[in-house]
Amino acid sequence: MVDDDRLIVTEGLTKVYPRVRALQSLSMTIRRREVFGLLGPNGSGKTTTLRLLLGLLRPTSGRATVGGFECWRQSLEVRRLVSYLQGELRMYGSMTGQGLLELLCDLRDGVGLDRAVAIAERIMKLELGRRVRTYSTGMKQKLALAQVFADPVEILILDEPTSALDPSARATVLELVQEARAQGQTVIFSGHVLAEVEQVADRVAIMRRGRLMHIEDMHARRSLRMLLIRFGPGPEPVIPPELELTERERNGEARLMEHRGELTPLLGWLATAPIADLAIGTEDLRSLYDRFHGPNVPDEEVPS
Amino acid sequence: MRPFWALIRKEVHESRWTLVLSTLALFGLGWLFVYVTSLNEAEIVRQLGSDSGDIGGRIRFLRSLGIEEEPRSVALIMASWNHPFILIVISVWAIGRGSGAVAAEIERGTLDLILSRPVARWVYLTAHICVAVAGLAILGLALMGGAAMALRYNVLRQPPGAWTLLQPAINLAALGLPIYGYTLLASAVDHVRRRPASVGAVLTLAGFIAWVIALIPVLRDTWWRPWLERVSIFKAYNPVELVTKGQTLGVNLAILGSLGAACITLAFLAFALRDLPANG
Repeated sequence: MVDDDRLIVTEGLTKVYPRVRALQSLSMTIRRREVFGLLGPNGSGKTTTLRLLLGLLRPTSGRATVGGFECWRQSLEVRRLVSYLQGELRMYGSMTGQGLLELLCDLRDGVGLDRAVAIAERIMKLELGRRVRTYSTGMKQKLALAQVFADPVEILILDEPTSALDPSARATVLELVQEARAQGQTVIFSGHVLAEVEQVADRVAIMRRGRLMHIEDMHARRSLRMLLIRFGPGPEPVIPPELELTERERNGEARLMEHRGELTPLLGWLATAPIADLAIGTEDLRSLYDRFHGPNVPDEEVPS
Repeated sequence: MRPFWALIRKEVHESRWTLVLSTLALFGLGWLFVYVTSLNEAEIVRQLGSDSGDIGGRIRFLRSLGIEEEPRSVALIMASWNHPFILIVISVWAIGRGSGAVAAEIERGTLDLILSRPVARWVYLTAHICVAVAGLAILGLALMGGAAMALRYNVLRQPPGAWTLLQPAINLAALGLPIYGYTLLASAVDHVRRRPASVGAVLTLAGFIAWVIALIPVLRDTWWRPWLERVSIFKAYNPVELVTKGQTLGVNLAILGSLGAACITLAFLAFALRDLPANG
């Protein structure tokens, strides 16, 4: 294991199938103790990325390392560091919930069973004596989540972890994700529910058609202010660069600007500038996501 | 070793009903064939006793049963160990386990559950192979066990000993190895169960048909018959010759074992190097 803060590194990671380019030259870094959100529609390459990280797929080109281990050639070492919740969850229906947890813990040399049982019974409210085939889809997902959060590993990879859950269980999962980060674990959270990702992620990657389009620092985003400004008559004032105020759109006289800097200098400048009208607000993750996947984004034309 | 034994338990759990039912079926068949042999022998003795001293009548009676000479009891039993029921049970087990090893697990999405844990692919496959081979051994022994048990309750002129029954039982279990092997190989490169199962079934059936054609007396002198015979794995399973003509068990085991081992080795390689896609 490396002491480097970079826990997961991909460099030009590419996966090509005979008729599909599933992932194209993905280069990114995931740091220790962060929750890394992975966003994108179906077929955008999220699950392919996760499977490449686990060593279930061999990259066509490029490389990926987890904890310093090369994901394909040292897959076993990688999987010692990782617990994975698969997106399309399937289980052995003839086993009981308890039996399945025992099997999965035994595959990790028997560690974590007590905690898995405790999470399943007390937090997820599952009856572990029942056969898995009698569980609903949501109950199966809860069982798998209990196992993932019980594993004493450095990295949790969650592929759509809340897709089959009721609202209260979703909230529980988000709490468990935050708890995992507080305990020093790194979490990759792949999902479609933007509000959930926004709530827990430290950084978010947005993917489209196998390409990484953008990585957003959610802490910076939470301090982002959107200003809709209409200047008064006369020449528009020059905006001092130290304000870190940048224009995103212009619509007639109205200018939509984003601000990520200190608030006091901005307020001081606004007080003196010839402004006819002003609205200040924030921007949620949806707005960012729609820049890459919104209905008005043509197939082959996406902003950088 | 803990993951390995966990996988062994999982495989046993998954295949337990198939194994139990197949074992009972072969045990029952083993018993039945001894019982039938006992009845046949009783009929032979009754017929021969009624015209004792008439050698010509004895030979005519035996020929009416399709037999050239007065057979040993074990030969009569072994003639029935070639019955298609027995071969079907062994084949179903071998094809079922072989196709279930990789392709079926990918198809239903459960392979991710196992291989996202720190389990080497070769450990996974080894556990699967151990259970499949142990199952073949159990099935062979079940047939022998049924016969041995039936010998306690049925009278034969020359009841065979345990070793005499054990040899064809081992041979039968070994017959399953190449069937399991080529099905496993097909499974190791596929992601749906139906294809490796079909490959296993077609190859096995083709081998069986080739063997049956090669045995047809009127085709005995054709130039291609030896080739047809050689391509069939069923040539290496002839329980009657094994117990009557002293055909060596070792040769049969070597042929069947080598074929099975070669396919299994290729399956290991294919599985180690392949992508494991998500189900669906």
